Amino acid sequence: MSDIRQTRNTGILRDGWTGFVEDYALSCNWSQDGNVLMACDVMGGIKAFHGKSGEIFWECSDTHDSGLLATSMHPEGILFATSGQDGNIMIWSVEEGTPKTQINLGSGWTENLTWSEDGDCFAATCSRHAYVFDKNGKEIWRSETHPSTVTAIAWSDKNELATASYGQVAFYDIEHSQLLQKFQWKGSLVSMVLSPDGDVVACGSQDNSVHFWRRSTAEDSMMSGYAYKPTDLDFDYSGTLLATGGSEVVTVWSFKGSGPEGTRPGQLELHSKPISSLCFAPKGYRLASGAKDGTVIIWDLNSDGEGNPVGAAMITDKVSNVAWRPDGRALAAVGSKGQVTTWRIRN
Amino acid sequence: MSSTSKVPVTILTGFLGSGKTTLLNRILTEEHGKRIAVIENEFGEVGIDQGLVINADEEVFEMSNGCICCTVRGDLIRILGNLMKRRDKFDYVLVETTGLADPGPVAQTFFMDDEIRDEFTLDGIVTLVDAAHIDQQLGRSDESSEQVAFADVLILNKSDLVTSDSLDKLEPRLREMNKMARIVRSQEANVPVETVLNLGAFDLDQVLDRRPTFLEPEYPFEWTGVYSVEAGTYELVLEEGPDPNMSIVIKSDQEGDDLSLKDGAEFCVRKYADDAELVSPGGPISFDSHFDLELSAKGKKSFLIEVDGQTNIGLFTQHTAEEFDMKLYRVDSKDSSSPIDPNVERTWVAQHEHDDEVGSFAIEREGDVDMDLMNAWLSKLLAEKGIDIFRMKGFVSIAGESRRFVFQGVHMLFDAQPEREWGEMIRCNQLVFIGRNLDEHDIRRGFDACLI
Repeated sequence: MSDIRQTRNTGILRDGWTGFVEDYALSCNWSQDGNVLMACDVMGGIKAFHGKSGEIFWECSDTHDSGLLATSMHPEGILFATSGQDGNIMIWSVEEGTPKTQINLGSGWTENLTWSEDGDCFAATCSRHAYVFDKNGKEIWRSETHPSTVTAIAWSDKNELATASYGQVAFYDIEHSQLLQKFQWKGSLVSMVLSPDGDVVACGSQDNSVHFWRRSTAEDSMMSGYAYKPTDLDFDYSGTLLATGGSEVVTVWSFKGSGPEGTRPGQLELHSKPISSLCFAPKGYRLASGAKDGTVIIWDLNSDGEGNPVGAAMITDKVSNVAWRPDGRALAAVGSKGQVTTWRIRN
Repeated sequence: MSSTSKVPVTILTGFLGSGKTTLLNRILTEEHGKRIAVIENEFGEVGIDQGLVINADEEVFEMSNGCICCTVRGDLIRILGNLMKRRDKFDYVLVETTGLADPGPVAQTFFMDDEIRDEFTLDGIVTLVDAAHIDQQLGRSDESSEQVAFADVLILNKSDLVTSDSLDKLEPRLREMNKMARIVRSQEANVPVETVLNLGAFDLDQVLDRRPTFLEPEYPFEWTGVYSVEAGTYELVLEEGPDPNMSIVIKSDQEGDDLSLKDGAEFCVRKYADDAELVSPGGPISFDSHFDLELSAKGKKSFLIEVDGQTNIGLFTQHTAEEFDMKLYRVDSKDSSSPIDPNVERTWVAQHEHDDEVGSFAIEREGDVDMDLMNAWLSKLLAEKGIDIFRMKGFVSIAGESRRFVFQGVHMLFDAQPEREWGEMIRCNQLVFIGRNLDEHDIRRGFDACLI
């Protein structure tokens, strides 16, 4: 860890700009062209920063009564969705900073939000239901009541949504309002990601394991031995590598060949506290990881999931989110003291 | 407020009608200067306008952690995970559970999730009781006795609606079920906030300060007699009595003063934990070892004791000498017709059985335990009997450790943390078990076998 104590960044990270939000920063989201970085805090503050200069060009506070829970940037970067503890979803114009649409889902927490890949619609959860709305906020679909709170959602295809909750992962055809496939397993699933080709669904479980299924064969596997529940999961763009948190060590499983079953994963060790965010770069096997000790590390991996750190930096306190600019030439990180930091990538 | 210290959490439970809503409202509206985040059940209507009042769905999830199956509140884990991000906005968390809930899963949540364990600490469980109706409730449902058993503080609310006579009868009954709880009477839930928050309920020192006689040592033997003897052969004679067998340990070098008797008792407790050697009438009893006297035959039965030199010996017997008309004689001398009287006799508080299904008992022993034996015994006990053990907590003195260890457990889960240095304090162990149909004798014996 002695390398990390330097105050200057190391390796491929070059100083970008630093700004802040007013409270514990929840997330950062880049617009598609990289010209805007949105940063939100847990108390409902939203700030829009110029991607290159860090200048704030609009901000808003107290947007969600009692707390902001989730954000999602539209694929074209024109709209920005936020949701909160008040059961509200708001769609913002990124350029103007004004709310275009507001939806209320009731009194429960709206903890998950995600735009579809083509940006035509977005999905959200509230308590035991998942919903899909079009760009204008009109409800297109609502799930049946899940057996328990829906903890994660992900688009598995155009018009196809996956939901995770205690004991199950379910896939729905939104257009025809049909359940397509369901996997069951007696555990509390707290996070979920899908491989880019849609065949693998991987979930982090409360019992400190990662459970995944292959949709084509319905086979499932479990990887246990994590120190904490793995809330952070990310596939690389090709679906070859799955990076998982749940520890100070980043554990990377390789899906090449016949898959990770029976193989040793890559173990990336450098953080001194548990991982709090994972994000693969848009292309290649380059991974950014953030941890509760305030460190941000970039790793270049091979197809086995092993690799070395190529850049490292520190922010003031726990890292809550890291995000690559869509061109892969810059990285943003936000932290628990409201710090918003960007770095350029040297090449 | 230091961000490195854990946030204390109080669990508030109690039946519908016990006055929980009244209590919650008072806590939220009173001027006590404390910032409290309240997590209430989904139908709770308290403090709707307040940002730090959260309605929870009370989702109980079954999960396994290795080979231990247990239940936790999945929704609480999510909510507390989110609250951690607003750590600087509050100093306490109060979790209100519905009256129909078994408090086990809520408490277990604080042991099961590591991230929650890092940030929060279970400060205590407060059970609100409707003094006017609890009697019927106890008879009718398991949940109500569980809620009494789980409590660190029992608030007998609506005490103005019952006679002080019935309260005087109710309290001992509740104490039998739960020796650990502090019992408080109230009207309209008008207890000070300090009764509900910052309980330090896992600080056993506080509990003991309040109830000094709470942990009376209980022994596996009922009687001790100290005799002066010389080199020679002696005979211990017993008539018919209440038991076909009786355990005995004869301690060599036993003095008759209080301190020596206490030391001797501690010594014999460990011996009693060993398997007993069965001895038939006419057989020998050697010193400092656990024997089981075979007494099923009719009439007098005698056993032989060989003494090497002049000394005082202590007989520690399972039953009192009187119950078997037990007497000690010298056999190899001229004057063997009169029995030798003990210099000192005393009886000890005997371990007793409980009638109520739900009950509690306390183990108190001086000295150190062997860490490995303790871990092995406790793990096995909780894995096999965990379902019936609601709470376990206390201090343990571990051989080789300079710090006192605090043990606390809920069902199958337990946690052991070092806290203050023993320093000048007498190293001892005090462990309380609260549960249903517990085999007290078995658990005491199991613990005694861990002593060094």
